[in-house]
Amino acid sequence: MTDFLKVATVTDLPDPGKLTLEVEDSVVVLFHVGGRFYCLDDVCTHDGGPLGEGRLCGHAIACPRHGAQFDIRTGNPLTMPATVPTRTHEVKVEGGEVYVRINQA
Amino acid sequence: MTAIATTTAFSHATVESFLESRHEPDWMLDQRRAAWRMFSELDWPDRRGEEWSRTDIRLFKLDKYSWPPAVSDDLRTPPAVLQQGVHLAGSSAALDSRPVASHLDPRWAQQGVLFGSLDQLLAEHGERLRPFLQRRIVNPYHDKFAALHAACWSGGHVLYVPRGVVIELPLHVFSAMTDGGLDFGRTLVVLEDGAEATVLAETASWSATAGGLHCGATEILMGCGANLRFVNLQDWGQGVWHFAQQRALVGRDATLQWTIAALGSRLSKVNQHVSLVGEGASCQVNGVLFTEGKQQLTYHTLQHHEARHCQSDFLYKAALQDRSRTVWRGMIKVDPGAQKTDGYQRNDNLLLSEHARADSIPGLEIEADDVRCTHGSTSGKVDEELIFYAMCRGFTRREAVRIIVSGFFQQIFDRITIESVRDALGQAIAARVREYH
Amino acid sequence: MFLGDSLRLLNREVKIIMATDVATLSSNDQIGEINKYDFRTESEAVFKARRGLDSEIVRQISEMKNEPPWMLDFRLKSLEIFQSKPMPSWGGKININFQDIYYYLKPTDSQGRSWDEVPQAIKDTFEKLGIPEAERKFLAGVKAQFESEVVYGSLKEDLSAKGVIFTDTDSAVREYPDLVRQYFSTIIPPEDNKFAALNSAVWSGGSFIYVPPGVKIEFPLQAYFRINAESMGQFERTLIIVDEGAEIHYVEGCTAPMYSTESLHSAVVEIIVKRGARCRYTTIQNWANNIYNLVTKRAVAYRDATMEWVDGNLGSHLTMKYPAVYMMEPGARGEILSIAFAGAGQHQDAGAKLVHGAPHTTGQIISKSISKNGGRSSYRGLVKVEQGAKNTKCKVVCDALILDSKSRSDTYPYIEIAEQDVSVGHEASVSRIGEEQLFYLMSRGLSESEASTMIVNGFIEPLVKELPMEYAVEMNRLIQLQMEGTVG
Repeated sequence: MTDFLKVATVTDLPDPGKLTLEVEDSVVVLFHVGGRFYCLDDVCTHDGGPLGEGRLCGHAIACPRHGAQFDIRTGNPLTMPATVPTRTHEVKVEGGEVYVRINQA
Repeated sequence: MTAIATTTAFSHATVESFLESRHEPDWMLDQRRAAWRMFSELDWPDRRGEEWSRTDIRLFKLDKYSWPPAVSDDLRTPPAVLQQGVHLAGSSAALDSRPVASHLDPRWAQQGVLFGSLDQLLAEHGERLRPFLQRRIVNPYHDKFAALHAACWSGGHVLYVPRGVVIELPLHVFSAMTDGGLDFGRTLVVLEDGAEATVLAETASWSATAGGLHCGATEILMGCGANLRFVNLQDWGQGVWHFAQQRALVGRDATLQWTIAALGSRLSKVNQHVSLVGEGASCQVNGVLFTEGKQQLTYHTLQHHEARHCQSDFLYKAALQDRSRTVWRGMIKVDPGAQKTDGYQRNDNLLLSEHARADSIPGLEIEADDVRCTHGSTSGKVDEELIFYAMCRGFTRREAVRIIVSGFFQQIFDRITIESVRDALGQAIAARVREYH
Repeated sequence: MFLGDSLRLLNREVKIIMATDVATLSSNDQIGEINKYDFRTESEAVFKARRGLDSEIVRQISEMKNEPPWMLDFRLKSLEIFQSKPMPSWGGKININFQDIYYYLKPTDSQGRSWDEVPQAIKDTFEKLGIPEAERKFLAGVKAQFESEVVYGSLKEDLSAKGVIFTDTDSAVREYPDLVRQYFSTIIPPEDNKFAALNSAVWSGGSFIYVPPGVKIEFPLQAYFRINAESMGQFERTLIIVDEGAEIHYVEGCTAPMYSTESLHSAVVEIIVKRGARCRYTTIQNWANNIYNLVTKRAVAYRDATMEWVDGNLGSHLTMKYPAVYMMEPGARGEILSIAFAGAGQHQDAGAKLVHGAPHTTGQIISKSISKNGGRSSYRGLVKVEQGAKNTKCKVVCDALILDSKSRSDTYPYIEIAEQDVSVGHEASVSRIGEEQLFYLMSRGLSESEASTMIVNGFIEPLVKELPMEYAVEMNRLIQLQMEGTVG
């Protein structure tokens, strides 16, 4: 089980907002929506390319290349052409700081 | 989060001071400078293009690597697998891009063979090697990695065999790396008309988990009727970023047998091109990829039929464990005039775990009509019945898988005509087989 | 003979030539340029939006069709997506000035020309293809309205008695809004690719079919049955929903060559095949040599459902089309049979995609392509097996014939395997007609051309035998004409 690593402060990211980060050996996207933080792999499972560059709309992130949408809370695909969830990572906020634990599964 | 380095070991100033230390002919320094300019102008490869869309290098940072110190006390290299118990005509070794030692049986030197450190032989035989080094067998401007290599190569190896000379014993070249080290080795092999040789090229790190950067090139040039068996065993540590451009030009009636075994590295991105440029040229490539952990090996191969009556046969077999990933992308390209082409390409993938991923992208671009070109690709897992059968006979599951994996690669082993290499590869693969329940 | 719905524009001057026959074009008809004809109708003027594409045009289209606000919104958003997306960096060369095209033309009801006005060359082609008399007139724009209404009329009754909805998509949006809205663009969202976005903005016409649970339609439904189509088939949008246990075979296109005044055709076809259902979609496309035919076709198959694409590409300057099946529940099956024939000045960049997204699914792709006279035929395909899709079985076979040294054949298969419990195989080969085979047939009295034709027919036989009989007959004849060189 990996540790929680500090990746940002709460004020680094507006609400709504997103930020692409490198955490250990992974590239992830951190989201700040509705007062909460979420974290997904920066991977669109449809074509394997980056997801974070896309449009954030409510709790959905849309891949810029073919429009596949993912729920930022669960990583689940919401529309075609994606059919496989992208990995989620645990996020916690303590003392104004945001921590992410990379999901090794 | 990693801090962003504001200075890099690779800058105009450090490159210039590197060039000053080289004592090379002007034409070579000019070549390097031009490559450096190209490096500065190019961006790192774009993930949106076909070439890099499956190979994510966002976590690769050139800043983490630095020029090896000019002089070092410790020049020991790890043991070389392909050398064990083999009588050699010569050997050449480098560590962290610095030549360490080389020798060539005087019998061959007397016949005009040049073999050893490219750095040293360039100093002594610059004019002889010049046409080959200027030939651009590998395109120095292909991308930022190629340009970096062309500017900064060092610790390379060269073999030059004059016309008609047949070297019966193999020659061994070895490039090794310390943890976090760097290898910019350039390998040049030139066989003039009728020449024959066998080259065993090996790379290794000191430990299986070592990191580092390899940014290299292999250039092979074969004259009329030449015959080369080239074996490349890549066994870098699993933290090493491995980028390589490899190209062979095969002349009229020449024959190339090229065996690649890729076991190590954190991420490999290798372009392996064979251009059949003279009528009757032929090439057989045997590729073994065996991955584990979170490794990713990406091999892009090209069989380019430029001349008539040529034959190419590429067989790549990959076995994948854990969460590893392979990408094999092969193209057979037949030019309009290349009639009577016989081109064959095959990729088989054995997925040994449920989290592995194999991408297989064969390809054909055919512009001549009197040809026979085929390709095939298969992917699958180990047959559970075979495991069951073996376990009934008293083998453990791991032993059973090992037997099956060896069986999977057997077709490649059968094509390798150098017994010591067959044995060494067989052992290296067997040792890596994991146990899955 | 069954006709494609593009033929249904009977009020306009539809000029019909062989796909590769450059010579019969008049000086007004330069290949690749946009042509515009005066409409020779006897009564009403035709509505024609101006050339070019912007939100005003899109609004006009939506207004002409009396669409609900959600569809207008969808079109406008799609337009933005189209404008923001780059052109594809792969595939064929697309040389289109998007602002120099008419995106919407509304036909009137009256019919155009008389049989006498049809050029002799065209009549000859029909003769050679053996097209029956009545059909020739239909094709040439001399519609025997009475006959086809009678045919269609009785069919319509039969289908609606079973609860089948078979209409054009424009009408469906108005008449079955809930049903349409539930599925429309869920399979192919506008962001999917630039041409799907274009279609999403300016679509017009196409079929909407709903087959209720358990209903099996024994005969193929033809595109031409839809009488009320409102466009020339340029930007068709087809949506087919096959409910549980139902079966349908839908046929589009025809082997006779089709000319269109507008050179950009970009259709979208979405198909949903529910549990236990079966759907086959057959297309024979033979557009004239100035047409860009850029199509997105995708089906989703659920539990124990089967989807089959039979795709024949004979015409157009450039076709880019990769019918896809996503197998999303256990037991689903996808089969794609593709044939491409590329002659002079043609590039067929076609193929198939299979995505195995659930365990126990099976897939098969058979592709046959032929390149002749400098034509270029490319197979481009994907087999993707997602992690967890255990016991996937999939086989792809691509064979290509390259008939002379001027022509070109490419194969670009992509295979992505993220699951170990699979059996996936792919093989492809490119060659010319075997000399031994040729020699054998010629030694039995056939000319080289006859022997080649026989071999080519044998080569495409697996596809031809899946076509409705009339198509099959014409397909063979068309191949024969192409091989003889009397047509391009």
